[in-house]
Amino acid sequence: MSGLRIVTVHCLQNPSSYITGILFIAASCVLATWIPRLLGQVTDSLRYGHAGEGDIAGFARMIVAVGAGRVIAGWAGRFLTHMKGRELTYTLRRELFAKWSTLSPSYYHTKSSGELISHALSDVDIVGDLVTLGLNMSVTGIATLIGTFWQMVVHVDWKLSVASVGPLLFIPVLVRRLGPAIRSQSHRAQEALDAMSQVTGEAVWGVRAVKAFGQEAVFNSRFEQRAEAIFEEKMRFARLSALFSSLVPLMVNIGFVFILGYGGFLVATKAISLGDFVAFTLYAVLLRLPLEQLSNVINIVQRAVPSLDRLATLLSVEPEIRNRPGALTGQVFHGDLLVDRLTFRYPGSDHDVLHDLSFSVRPGQTLGIIGAVGSGKSTLADLLIRLYDPPSGSIRIGGRDILDYSLATLRKGVACVPQEGFLFSGTVLENIGFSDEEPDEARAERCAVIAVVHESILQLPEGYDTEVGERGARLSGGQKQRLAIARMLYKDAPFQLLDDPLSAVDLTTERRILDNLRTLKASSGGGASSGKITIIISHRLSAVQHADEILVLQEGRIVERGSHETLLDSEGYYAFQWSLQNNLFSGDDGKEGNDDDKAYFPKDFPDNERQEPDALPAVFQVVCPEDLP
Amino acid sequence: MKDTLSQKGWVSTLFPYTKPHWRGFSLAFILIVVVVLIDLAQPLLVREVIDRYISSSNPDIRAILRISSVYLVIVLLSFGVAWYQEILLQRIGLMIVRSIRIDLFRHIQSLSLRYFDRYNPGRILTNVVSDAEALNNFFTQFLAYMIRSLFTLGFIMIFMARLDLKMAMYCFLLVPVIVVTVIQFQRILQAANAEARRRLGLLIGFLSENLGGMSVVQMFHQETRQSRRFDARNKAYLAASLSENRRFMFFFNVTETLADLTVAALVWFGGQGVIHGTVSFGVLYAFIGYIRRFFQPISIILMQMNILQASIVAFRRIGRTFAEMPDIAEGCCRVPEPVSGAIRFEGVSLEYTPGYPVLHDIDLSVFPGDKIGFVGATGAGKSSVMNLLTRFYDVTTGVVSIDGVNIRDWPFEALRRTVGIVQQDVTLFAGTILDNVRFFRTDITAVRVREACLLVGADSFIQCLPKGYDTVLSERASTLSAGERQLLSLARVLIFDPRILILDEATSSLDSGAEEILQEAIHKVSAGRTLLVIAHRLSTVREMDRIVVLENGRIVESGTHAELLGRQGSYRRLYHAWSEQDKAA
Repeated sequence: MSGLRIVTVHCLQNPSSYITGILFIAASCVLATWIPRLLGQVTDSLRYGHAGEGDIAGFARMIVAVGAGRVIAGWAGRFLTHMKGRELTYTLRRELFAKWSTLSPSYYHTKSSGELISHALSDVDIVGDLVTLGLNMSVTGIATLIGTFWQMVVHVDWKLSVASVGPLLFIPVLVRRLGPAIRSQSHRAQEALDAMSQVTGEAVWGVRAVKAFGQEAVFNSRFEQRAEAIFEEKMRFARLSALFSSLVPLMVNIGFVFILGYGGFLVATKAISLGDFVAFTLYAVLLRLPLEQLSNVINIVQRAVPSLDRLATLLSVEPEIRNRPGALTGQVFHGDLLVDRLTFRYPGSDHDVLHDLSFSVRPGQTLGIIGAVGSGKSTLADLLIRLYDPPSGSIRIGGRDILDYSLATLRKGVACVPQEGFLFSGTVLENIGFSDEEPDEARAERCAVIAVVHESILQLPEGYDTEVGERGARLSGGQKQRLAIARMLYKDAPFQLLDDPLSAVDLTTERRILDNLRTLKASSGGGASSGKITIIISHRLSAVQHADEILVLQEGRIVERGSHETLLDSEGYYAFQWSLQNNLFSGDDGKEGNDDDKAYFPKDFPDNERQEPDALPAVFQVVCPEDLP
Repeated sequence: MKDTLSQKGWVSTLFPYTKPHWRGFSLAFILIVVVVLIDLAQPLLVREVIDRYISSSNPDIRAILRISSVYLVIVLLSFGVAWYQEILLQRIGLMIVRSIRIDLFRHIQSLSLRYFDRYNPGRILTNVVSDAEALNNFFTQFLAYMIRSLFTLGFIMIFMARLDLKMAMYCFLLVPVIVVTVIQFQRILQAANAEARRRLGLLIGFLSENLGGMSVVQMFHQETRQSRRFDARNKAYLAASLSENRRFMFFFNVTETLADLTVAALVWFGGQGVIHGTVSFGVLYAFIGYIRRFFQPISIILMQMNILQASIVAFRRIGRTFAEMPDIAEGCCRVPEPVSGAIRFEGVSLEYTPGYPVLHDIDLSVFPGDKIGFVGATGAGKSSVMNLLTRFYDVTTGVVSIDGVNIRDWPFEALRRTVGIVQQDVTLFAGTILDNVRFFRTDITAVRVREACLLVGADSFIQCLPKGYDTVLSERASTLSAGERQLLSLARVLIFDPRILILDEATSSLDSGAEEILQEAIHKVSAGRTLLVIAHRLSTVREMDRIVVLENGRIVESGTHAELLGRQGSYRRLYHAWSEQDKAA
């Protein structure tokens, strides 16, 4: 889709507003050209001596009337076009957001949200300017030009008109000759600015490296080079645009020279009246602004074309994850989960991140997945909920390929806790009941109790009605994660996926939450085919220790599998991690062997909640150096 | 009160930068005045022509032609002057912005890590890029237009007064009316603008949050609801921006109407004057010409207010950044040469946030050439110890010294040269591999870079790349594997030949094959250096001269591998776990 279509479609949808707007603006400009004519008539009536006070008063009233007419018409026209233009920006933003909600995570891997936001802001604004300012200025310019010329030719003398307006006709020539040069130079200046932003970004993001090597000076000089390049490119741009912006008034002024010389000659030889002469001089002033604006329109259009193209591209992106033709919509998303020889690589990548994974989970069972960063456990999670599409037939639910379900069915059937628990601005209640239009407070509270966050919530200034801030910024990491668990429970879907759900929660609370989850599972007829499938992904082993089966992933492969006990007995990676994660914390109690709970959670274990003060603003939270970027 | 204070702040920040350009400013100033004068000469010229040559009983055609040719010359002159003046002012503005930018960047570079912890990178970037751009607008647009408009106004008033004092006085009555209008305009428009910006902020916030959590929205199937919520914010912003626009147009039209009324009044009073013979027609003409020009500069001044506002915000933000002081001060002691690499921690504690200590009372001595392994769980404080030694942060209490000199007294340059660190996350920059390894230091030869790469074993994979050492890495260097990146970072440290080498989980994100290669490289490069390693593998730790076990910010055990094994403590338990894993593997 070509970018310009966005604007034409919009204009065609509101034809009456735009036509009325344009007519009003044009009328206003034509009325404005009448005022010099009136002043010319005043001159003549004064000059040729027959004017009385009454005539003068009449002229003054005429001027007021015409002036009022032009102001009101201009007002109405600008009001209409500005309103429509701003409505266009509103519509574009709405469409962008609607489009973005359909796109899959792979899209967000290639585009940063900052980039997308800048499209939604500046590109949309630039297009808005095209419709408001661009339209206004071009109509003003053209109408004034035509109006003036008409007044001159019809009422006065065509030769004088041609002589005075003639130089103005060079302006379009100038625009055509200088315009492209100015545009490409402006582009180069922008590139220089981008290059500088990049170096700045590197210096800021890589500040630890720069400081560790003490190489600030190197970056200073790299930055200076970029700043210098901006200066050079912008100066080139300034030279061109200054030439352009001073040539336009020059043309107007040369026109004025003709009026003065030739017009003066005509008056002196009585070919035209003094009033006509006066009117001409005023037209020259009147023409200047619209003509300058008219040349500005070129800039606005030039700026808008790339923005329009970018927006058109954004709006035409097709989501990668789509319903298959004939997707199952009525089907319930329920039954055994079967993963069969799953091998996966990201689109566009040349190496597999998951190799030949096979496992199955029955309703009522819990599966634990552990592995280091980069082991592929989060990729597996993304595939299970179809944030990426797995190869056909490799993941089955209730005997059917996961790809056969409609996305709506699948997402109704799955509840998950994403990493870091991502919350949205809004109240605590709204966040827990995120899956509901009108959150049920009693139900939210029950879920909060299970997620061991109810008491923390009650300590917040407004309890369940407390605003959590952008991305939950007013809550601690642990609170966010527990709220995310409550949010998952609230949804009550047959398929639960927890991706590192407890990393910021202290071990005691973690155990309470896991106990609650197990109790809940047992009480809701677990084990039977009606139970839920729960998958817990974690790098902390304590989170998965009670799972029916635990998979250990390494570099995309299952290297160990089994229950907690069998894995400990096998003395492999799991057993090693288990010792690592528990031994170093267990204090000097001298005991070996860790099979009672006391050894896992010694009494003197540091209370992480202390480092995670409830309801303190984010700035007061402890920054662990390991967590810094 | 607070407002005037911060205003003073930005003026004093900016003032020194304008100082070297006073001559340029003065010249531009004079040229603007010349352009304005030429522009305003036009009505005077016409008055001259009308009153003297056309209205007289026998018109002087030759004089008319003479005046128009003089005017042609003036107009051409004005073109040149206007062109030169604009370039001159642009040049000064760009030069000022360039030096502010460079100083700002240098200043930010000099700030300590706490600053970077506190502000997000996007904000810092905005400061250097957009805020400095806003200053450019201030000089090249606001200043130029303001000077031009103010002088136009001033000269018009002078010319009018000289033409006809009484009529001019009547016209000047307009000035307070216009001033009041402008002030009202500013006040009302500022409020509307602030509201629109506030709502735009909400819109952006919502957008950024939802783009970040789009998969969560999709998982909970709330796309429609979130779209609706976005729509509410989008609509609110639309309403605010429309109301801002309405106000703007209202005032714009008020000034336009005022202009027409004034012309009508001039026709009315001036016309009577002409009839009664008290005013010449040429004067009336000039008045009409001038009074129309009265309004254009005022409209321009109004339009510039937005630029001024944006610039003030930018000034303040830049001023605030300049006011940030590095909390790590450079020492100026002379350090012993050559450095031997002895390290001492005495009673050291560290708090990143006051009241939340992460290191307690650390005492540790390291002899030159010692190899020390640090073990402990995540959050035990291993990296914090290293952060102190590199002076990323300063101790809260206690002393860290190298070769007996408190590191607070070390000049940065010497300290950075002495302490090298390889971190888990490798930062590579956009540029060639060669430049990345030598950190863009052109005084380091390609030969030396190659030697370092050969030593760590990076040479072989670099040679396999299409352009070898001249391969250009993209910003995130995604073309290289984690192991290759880590080898480059090791080579980079070697180039600078530090006496003390820190390996902060350098191998933890590598797969086992890459780790083996890297371990071998580390083994080679650590010879003759003091080595501090945060390790998570037995094989690495066992080789160390001494092992320090950290728990919750305290040293709980330290000694050789054999000593610690005999102690039945944390290390022994860990060791057993490790050896079991090694057996299994």
